[in-house]
Amino acid sequence: MTRQPQTVLPRRRLLQMGGAALGAAALSPFAPRAARAATPVTFQLSWLHSVQFGGSYIAQSKGYWSDLGLDVALAPGGPNAPVEPPVVAGTALLGISAADYTAAAVENGAPFRILAVAMQKNPFAISSLPDNPVNVPKDLEGKSIGMATANTPVLEALCTLNDVDIGRIEVVPTQYDGAPLLAGQVDCLLSWATDLPVAMAMKGADPVVMLLADHGYAVHSQTYIATEDSIANRRADLVALLKGEVMGWTDYHADTDAAAELTVKMFPDAGLDLATQKLQAERQLPLMFTDLTEQNGFGWFTDETVAANVETLALLGRQVSPDLWDRSILEEVHGGA
Amino acid sequence: MTPARRDRRWLRAVLWLCAVLGMWELAALALDGRYILAGPVGIAGYMAGHAGLLGRALWATFQSALLGYLCGNLAAVALAALALLLPVSERAVRLFSLAVFCLPLIATGPILRVLYGPGIGPQVTLSALGVFYTTLVPLLAGLRAAPQVWLDLVDSYGRGRWAALRHVRGMAAVPYLVAGLQIAAPAAFLGAMIGEFTGAERGVGVLALRAMRSLDVEATWALAALAAAVSILAYEGAGRLGRLLWPGAPPVLLVAPVVERRRAPWVTFALWLALAAAVLLVWHGTMELFGLNAFFAKRPGDVWAFLVTGAGAAEHREVLFAALGQTLAMAGPGYVAGLAAGAVLAALCVLAPRAAGAVLPVAVTLRAVPIVTTAPLIVLALGRGAAGVVTIVAVMIFFPTLIACLHGLRLVPRPVIDVFETYAAGRWRTLVHARLPAALPAFFASARMTVPAAILAATVAEWLATGTGIGNLMALSSSTSDYNMLWSAVAVLTLVAVLAHGAVALAERAVFARYAPEQLRR
Repeated sequence: MTRQPQTVLPRRRLLQMGGAALGAAALSPFAPRAARAATPVTFQLSWLHSVQFGGSYIAQSKGYWSDLGLDVALAPGGPNAPVEPPVVAGTALLGISAADYTAAAVENGAPFRILAVAMQKNPFAISSLPDNPVNVPKDLEGKSIGMATANTPVLEALCTLNDVDIGRIEVVPTQYDGAPLLAGQVDCLLSWATDLPVAMAMKGADPVVMLLADHGYAVHSQTYIATEDSIANRRADLVALLKGEVMGWTDYHADTDAAAELTVKMFPDAGLDLATQKLQAERQLPLMFTDLTEQNGFGWFTDETVAANVETLALLGRQVSPDLWDRSILEEVHGGA
Repeated sequence: MTPARRDRRWLRAVLWLCAVLGMWELAALALDGRYILAGPVGIAGYMAGHAGLLGRALWATFQSALLGYLCGNLAAVALAALALLLPVSERAVRLFSLAVFCLPLIATGPILRVLYGPGIGPQVTLSALGVFYTTLVPLLAGLRAAPQVWLDLVDSYGRGRWAALRHVRGMAAVPYLVAGLQIAAPAAFLGAMIGEFTGAERGVGVLALRAMRSLDVEATWALAALAAAVSILAYEGAGRLGRLLWPGAPPVLLVAPVVERRRAPWVTFALWLALAAAVLLVWHGTMELFGLNAFFAKRPGDVWAFLVTGAGAAEHREVLFAALGQTLAMAGPGYVAGLAAGAVLAALCVLAPRAAGAVLPVAVTLRAVPIVTTAPLIVLALGRGAAGVVTIVAVMIFFPTLIACLHGLRLVPRPVIDVFETYAAGRWRTLVHARLPAALPAFFASARMTVPAAILAATVAEWLATGTGIGNLMALSSSTSDYNMLWSAVAVLTLVAVLAHGAVALAERAVFARYAPEQLRR
């Protein structure tokens, strides 16, 4: 299998090496990259580049990973780029998934473990306009909700958790788009709290955002997954990768504006708007950093949070064992830091 | 044409353009606040403000599309030549091409990304996959549209099939090839854009996704306008190339009716069985060859177990066939409506040549603008029910039909037209008695090549608008890693496409026996 020329490489290198080094590299393309050869690893993101992965960009640009001996390629995702296949196939060492997707993949035979949790609170939310708000799940009754039908189990779980009669909610299949809400086609919208509501806010409509996580929906999101084989055989690389991640996200926590600026600068072709990225960066902060991470560090999870996940996943029709979560690598990261 | 008349024509064209742009702007104003449609003013403003960004994205997608266009069309030409030089291979070429063309993006995308790693590999491949079949099918018809006497002449000089292909059939096929190349132009660009959905850093598809989610209608429609503009230019370019290569004087095709050698039914049956076995073998073999993990790359055996022998097979079948029924109920009417619309419009363009100038850019635009952009408009106009999906399917079908039929209707030999003119037969009579029969091979070529397109379009529309049918089932299966269900859906869809294709072929034989016997020659 021949590989296509990797068009992503030049920019990444440019950022790593700085302008001066680039000149030298351009003159001698076959020169060894560094005296100490870095291990190349691919880290599969779950969506297009945006500040959603701001901590990873910080780790990349500040050289946290290269200091740890890794040459990390950040592979963007997309609507037709499921994370699980490249991680199973081994083309990506680490991937960003969510507990429900991972549970489904494991049910279908993928040997995954969840190593760390970036989003402690699930980002799923229901947005509505202030004059017809959904403040609590009970408000959903008698309203129409726009969502991808693939997310029906999410709505069902929310209804079960809060004694809401799902038969009284009209589900309208829509694309992942805020327009149907603003145009009055639906009363509310199921989406992530960090994207469509942010876009609507940027357009001057400030929707009411009800976070599902505040109403019993406990599903870890933006989780780091790897295969059992990698955990056994590439442990050092995984520890280094997650260590860089933790450092990057700690910087992100300290200054989300800087993270947004870095994101826009690193991906000038992604069509990112700085103000939008800053607002998104700010809004995802409370989902990622909680009392739990305050005490134990970024990415942490406990037997209690895992138990809550197992319970919600059962409502989603996924039978999982707590063994799906493996904290040993994260413990090494935080212990050795 | 006198300079004054030319000026007047220009003036009229400019006036028309202004009227269209004005109405578009008014429609956009009427829909203001719904975040669905942007007008020309908003689009121009966005383009001016983001010229650099758009330019870089366009260049990235254009490169992938161009590579895919070249590879896909070259593959089609090579396969058509193979089918002609080695007639026994034709059935296999047709079946394999159909099967590959039927593969939905949702199944191939992740595999391509795993195979290629980062870079433009998946974009180029999907773009090539999107064009090769719509070039191959008209080309196979075109290679037959040669006068028997010319072939006899090659024979009488003792030259072989290769010489016949080079000197006679190749020339005869040029107009058909041009139709294929023109149909391929918007498909290549769209394929490259969709390919970016498998994870790309830049490109028009990446920006389109971002624009939709951030309610940026100006950006969304600016990107759609760019995609349409590139496609129209490529379409025009292919047409010009065709006029350069071919003088435009179709030969008279006098061929004695072919007496078919009827094969015993069991021979035909055995032949198809062998071909089906070959497809399954290639499916399994390719996945093994590339060492694709069985978690996401399911083999024929997995699908068989899932649907027939394994635990819960009956349940799986029930889910799958219920969804298939919903899809076919949409794809069928859409297919028929699209074919009819394309053929009728082509006839109109011939009856009123000036109308062609207005119809063709609109047709190319409709094909080139991705469904993700137009779906909300169609849904707004027609609702989320059957009407919307049927319309989306028809829009995807009507463009290739229109182009192929338009070329076909022009393929009437000059002497035949002369006879009609001598008798002062009007445009209508000439159309019915001379042009329509001449266009039949082209019409059936489009009926063949749009079978898989109809099914794929229905699945995309279901995924985006209605949330029903096999399109939705595949999206759901992919997000929950239920790759057994996904590949079962792929297999069943391919089977349906092959059967529908077979039905078209039967109708075609019956018609060709009378109107185009040269197409039945071996």
